[in-house]
Order: sequence, then C-alpha cells, then structure tokens
Amino acid sequence: MHKLNLTRRDFLKTTGASLFLAGVPIPGYTKDKPPGTISVILLEGGMDGLTAVPPFGDPDLLKMRKIISPKNYLKLNSFFGLHPSFRVLGGLFANNQASVVHATSIPYVKRSHFEGQNMMEGGGLSPFSENSGWLGRALDLANTPGRALSLDMPLVLRGHNENDNFYPASIRNSSKLNTKLIEAISMAHAKESADVYSKISNKSKVDVSNIPRDPASLAKYAGKVMSQDEGPLASVIRIPEFDTHARQGADTGKHADLLGIIDDVIAGYREGLGSAWDRSIILTMTEFGRTVAVNGTTGTEHGYGTAGILAGGTIQKSRIITQWPGLSKNDQFERRDLMATIDYWSVCAACIEKALGLDHELIAKKVFLRPNLPRVFDYIFS
Amino acid sequence: MNEQFRVSQKLGLMFKPGDNIPKDIRSWALSQLHEKSPAMGIKSVSRVGNSVVTSEVTNWPKHLQPDLRERAKRWRIYRAFNKLARKENKSNAEKQRNRQENQFGEIDALKFSHRNVYGNDQLRVRFLTFWTNHFTMGNIHDNQNVIGHAMDEAILANLNNNFSEMLFKVTSHPAMLIYLDNIWSAGENSKHARWCNIKPDCQAGLNDNLGRELLELHTVSPAANYTEDDIRNSAKVLAGWGTHLEETLKKMREQGKTTNHWDYFKKNYAEPGKKMVMGQKISPGKRGLRQLTDFLANHEHTIKHISTKLCQHFVSDYPEQSDINQIAKAWRDSDGNLDKIHTKVIELAIKSKEPKFQWPMTWIYQVVRLSGASYFHGWDQVYNWYDNGIMRNKEVFEELGQSFWATRQPNGYSSKKEEWLSGEMFERRIRFASAIYMGGETQVSTDKIMDRISANNATRKLVDSVGMNEESRFIALMCSAELMGLENA
Repeated sequence: MHKLNLTRRDFLKTTGASLFLAGVPIPGYTKDKPPGTISVILLEGGMDGLTAVPPFGDPDLLKMRKIISPKNYLKLNSFFGLHPSFRVLGGLFANNQASVVHATSIPYVKRSHFEGQNMMEGGGLSPFSENSGWLGRALDLANTPGRALSLDMPLVLRGHNENDNFYPASIRNSSKLNTKLIEAISMAHAKESADVYSKISNKSKVDVSNIPRDPASLAKYAGKVMSQDEGPLASVIRIPEFDTHARQGADTGKHADLLGIIDDVIAGYREGLGSAWDRSIILTMTEFGRTVAVNGTTGTEHGYGTAGILAGGTIQKSRIITQWPGLSKNDQFERRDLMATIDYWSVCAACIEKALGLDHELIAKKVFLRPNLPRVFDYIFS
Repeated sequence: MNEQFRVSQKLGLMFKPGDNIPKDIRSWALSQLHEKSPAMGIKSVSRVGNSVVTSEVTNWPKHLQPDLRERAKRWRIYRAFNKLARKENKSNAEKQRNRQENQFGEIDALKFSHRNVYGNDQLRVRFLTFWTNHFTMGNIHDNQNVIGHAMDEAILANLNNNFSEMLFKVTSHPAMLIYLDNIWSAGENSKHARWCNIKPDCQAGLNDNLGRELLELHTVSPAANYTEDDIRNSAKVLAGWGTHLEETLKKMREQGKTTNHWDYFKKNYAEPGKKMVMGQKISPGKRGLRQLTDFLANHEHTIKHISTKLCQHFVSDYPEQSDINQIAKAWRDSDGNLDKIHTKVIELAIKSKEPKFQWPMTWIYQVVRLSGASYFHGWDQVYNWYDNGIMRNKEVFEELGQSFWATRQPNGYSSKKEEWLSGEMFERRIRFASAIYMGGETQVSTDKIMDRISANNATRKLVDSVGMNEESRFIALMCSAELMGLENA
C-alpha cells in the first residue's frame, strides 16, 4: 500500500467510515460452506462515476466537465481512463483482478440521498419498502448469519435476526463486561431487545481493542478475519461524504481524496485477505451518480448513472462492462444525468452468485424481489 | 415508573436529586415550554482523593458565547493561520493554539451537554434537540464555529415562535448556508455568473443542495411529488444568500449593504426574475426567500411530514395515525404556532402509555441527572482535561456515535427504535453506565433511585438478581427496559 501523507491521514481520521462483518458459518447449521466472500463498499452521497472512470473517448466529456476531469489518468482502453487516485486498483486492473461497470445505477431516479441510500441498502422495489437489506437476505438464503463491525446495524445487512455488529469501543474507566450481568439484563428485556443484549456476551470474548478506525485499517482487519476458516463471509464498509456539490476538484481535491479512500480500502482488503483474496469479490455501490454538467460552484448535483468498481481474485479477466449511452444532451437521462443502461442489482446478484453459490433465479426472486432481473454473471466472472 | 418520571423521561431529561418534583406533571410540562433558558453549567470539576468536586452551577460566561461577528472573526484568524501554516513550518503547539483559540465546536458541544445536565428547562432542551436534528447542520468547511450559534439563536430562541419564523431563521443562518453549499451558489443569469463565465478560469452558477434539502428534509418531503424544476427554482430563490465567513466586513457592506452575517444577500449573485416553486409565485430579490419559507412552512405536506416526525420522536415508537392527525390539526388551527404544536405533542405523549425509546445522547444525560453524577468537565477545561474517570465531552459524543458537531448526513438521526437496536449500541450503554458509576461519583444509591422513580417490579427483580455489588445494580437499572424507554410501568 502506498504511503499516506499527513494531510491525507488527517482527512481519513475525520471521515466517519465504518465496517460491518456478517455471515459467520455456523458448524452443523450451514450445510455447505459457500465458495467465496463478498465485500461491499457503500459510497454514501453519490459517487461521480464520470470522474472515477472518465470516458475520455466521448467527445462530450471534456466539453462538459473539463474543470473536474483528471488530466493524469491511467488509460484502461481507448475509451475509458482511471482516476489517478486509484493506484492500487490500476495495478489490479493490469493483473486481471478488477473490472468496472459503467453507466449503471440501482433503479432509483428521484435523486434523494435519504430515499436512495435506503433503496441501495434495502434492495426493495421502492425506498423504505423493506425492513431487511439485500445482503442480509442473501446471507439468510445461504444460512450464514453473523455479525457486523459497526456502531449501528446497517440496513443492508439486516435480515437474519442472528446478525450482529461490532465496533471497537474506547470508554475509559468502564469495567470489563460481566457475562452474568449481561445475561441478567438480557433476560429482563422483552424479546426484541433481549436478543440484542444476548449477543453482547459472545462478543465480549473477542479482543478487538486495537483496531484503528480509519477505512484502510478497517478493511485490512475485515480481510483478515474473513480469511479465517470460520470467518465471516461478508463485510460492508461505508464511506460517507461523496456529495460533492462544491469544489469537487479534479486530479486532486475532495472527490480525488475520496476515491483515494476507496483505493486504500481495496488495498486494505487485498492485504488482509491474503490467500483468501482468490475467492473474494469486492464491489462498490452508491445511491446515484452526479450530473454530467458541472454546476455553478465547481461541483456536481445529484444525478443518476454512475460507475461500479469490482475487484477480487474471483475475477478472471479485467473488463469494462458497459453499454455506453453517450454524454450528449439527447443521450442524457432527463437531459442532465448519465443514463444508466445496466441495472446494478444484476451486478450485485452476480457477485452474490459467485460468493455465496446461490442460484441466480433464487437471488433475483428472494433477494431483489425482481424475478426478471437479468443475469450478468458471465460478463463479470468468465 | 411513576407518572412524574415517566413524563420527564419521555419529554424531558429526568429530575435530579434534590429537584422539586411537581405534583401536577401535566401543568409542569406545559409550563416548561416557557421556562427561561439561560445556558447553565460549571466552570470546573476536580478530583480530591476519591471524590469529584464540581464548582457551583451558574450561567455560562459571555466570552464563551460570542456573537456571529466574533465567531466569523475567529474563523478568519483560524483560516489565515492555516494558510500560512501550509507555507511555513508551524509547530504543533502553534497549530493547537490556533484551534483552541479560534474554533468553537468543542465549546458549544460542552455547552449543549451542560444545558442538558444542569438546566432547569429540560423540555425545552429536548425540543431544541429535536429541531437541531431536524435541521441538520454538520461540520464541513469548518462549520463548527457557527452550529452552536444557530442552535441557540435560530432554534432555541424561536421555540415559542411560529414555525415559519424558525424555518426562515435556520435557512438563512450561515451554519445552514455553509453546510449545504449555498454560499457559493449564483443564479445562472446573475451579474456575477455572466461576468465570470466569459473568463476562462472562472466558474459560477447554481448549486441546488440547499434548495433540494429545504424541500425534501426540512419541509414538504418527497411525498409532495415536487419536480426537479421545483428544486432548481428553490435553489434560484436561495442564490445569493450567505457567505463564507472569511469575507471582509468591507466587502459585505459593498455587496450586501450589511455587516450582519445572518442577513447577507449578495445581489449580484441573485437570479433575476420571478420563480415558481410548487405552483407558488416567488418575487425576485432578497424578499423571495421569506416568501418561499412562509409558503413551505404551512404547506399541507410539511404539516404531515413534521407532525409524523414529532410523534415518532416524543409520543410513541409506533405512532398512531390519529395522534399524528391531532398534531397536524394543532398546526393547521394555529397556522404553525410552535407553542400550540408542542403543547399538543406534550399532551399526546402524556396520554399515550406507549413507551418511547430514548436516543443514546438523551439516555446518557438522563442517567447522569438521575444519579447526580458529575460526568462532564467544566468550561475552563475544554482543552486541558484528562482524567481516567471522566472522559472529555468530545470523546463522549464520539463513543456514543451521536453528535451535532460531527460531519453528518443531512437527514439527521432517526427516531425509529429499530435504527438503534444493535449489540454495539447496547454494549455502549452498559459501558457508559459503568463509567458514570465509576468515574462520576453518583450521589444516590440505586435503591434510592428506584424508590424515587417507583421502578416497576420487573426492574426491581432485575436489579436484585445481579447481586449486592452496587456498580452491577446501577448498570442493571440504567440498562433496564424501563430506563431505556423500551417498556412502561
């Protein structure tokens, strides 16, 4: 992993990233251990796919967004480039271990963070329609409940009531947790909250007191525990603040720093997973992309289509998977946003299929509640 | 729990040892809406042997509650130093001094904790908390210098006013205009944009961030089915409002004929002409924003959206539609009079026997108040406090996972119970109860607290089941379903 300079570190510290681990196979309960692991990097705020993976072959790109497009980029092919913040990802791409899905989005077009983030985690047919999350439902189908590493329980993992979360606490002068006390409290609560308390006693046996909280360290930790035999099969890292309405920057700046965090997180996973990298898939997702045009404050507004980044040893060949819609006004969604031509749920479905070994039809029906969801597995994993 | 404590748990912050407990709790609760709200607190705490000694509770000093102009001045000094520090090699001590002398986030956050722990206006503070969360203003672009000011002057100062007044004062406050990027937004046909856009390296135009959240989060919500055009037009009304606080007063006089950061409208950034937002015609110029916020404040969808939020926050975890309707009716009947609206919320919260789960921050203040512990340091100690027993206020917020001074998403913290039911969140309650007991020197025994609040049988049984160790008993009580607001007596 490349060295971080000081300002960058300061930035990381203030970024409230969090990690969730889930899907621990239970001996005797999980019949066949799923073949791989799946990690989701949630990019909250709306990542600008046109900056992350700029389509330099499109003549309209520089016409519309010269001021926020990177000048130094890694050429992925004759049409697409990769933002210079993606140093590790660039290397993975060259080694056939990373791909990009472009002009894609979850099917949500109303540009609200609140609704979009709920939909991105819930995976239902509309915002707030589901009380469980798509990854939680997938883990349920694979019979692999587990725990999450975070302060709150993210919707994306909700599903099985055995799912749990964890995030290293640092509260001075609090006594070591007393299992008997926790049991007593748990017994005195009604079922819903009793279940939550009862999980704490198991957790207190694990020593996680020394995990730093920056995103890269969290990813490295996640990779490490996922690489263990009885380790969790799924993890989620949440990176907020992609909502760059003003002073977005280009090669450097706010959005570039955020892309650098994605790169650090992928590098962290790579390092932590070790040999388990070969059976892993990591994917990013965001609630929506950003407008094609730059707004009045050298930023971008909420949009629609964006890019998804995939990495992991389960990828055999690096590709840019897209049906490029074009960037001219007439090609844009509502004459302002990049059109999404690939339903990102089908990308998520393919990753679940690969990692958890479930049938596409089952995933489409039970996880995404869309029986007709296209199968794109072969485009990603062949 | 007896009625007095049940009501103060749901709507307030619990009675401290030594507080007079009102007989007529309903009248007391309603009178709280008009309680005086000076910021009360303590100058310092100290440890003498095993005891914690706090200085007397008194008003916060004026110099720690500066006005906007002073805050802006400190911001300029802070930023200027940072610019210099990038070029010159400044020592860590100098950088630290710059932060401590010129930033206000930590001071304001402590003041908020003190308000919660030491104030006599517990219901007002809870409503302040609700509205501060509704109008989320997170810490980006060094916004921490003014968030506390907006809480005191735009929200708390308008608790007895009309919602439309609060909405306008918050929307036009620098903390909001900075947080949602409005300070750089210029109408596409504004003088500034036309001048700027013919130059090669100049970029000016609209930023719709605040225009969008004003509709989506602060007022009508997506249920109103507004369009992208409505959002853009709302952003056009807002274009010109606000400044980054580095602007010199001279420039402010030139551009906006004022030196008041809270009333600053840059004419040359404004979009000329009338605008239509959700069918409402809005005049050009500075007065447009007030027209827009007045229109939105009493919009039927705003009433429904916020009545639901109030009900969810104060009345019940699973609010009844009929309760929501009653709050909405109070809103309509009074044209948005917050006294009338809050009165209805109080009446319904008392009437409803449903439990209401309490946020981590509210719970911790309630635990501290119930036990009489000293768990927050004094205002003289914001930057020089280290103690093994009492964490810095800033650290408490970090470990709670809840703070109004963090970098946050604009939709704020959920009032839904489900969002907070996690092993980690519950573990932290156990740890904090332990830390408060160990470090904060509680004033009353667990048994005494149970007697005072008339703890229910299940709670007493739980406390007795953990043995005679006073710390365990304290933790068991504070983490019981009853004290967390998960069950009622």
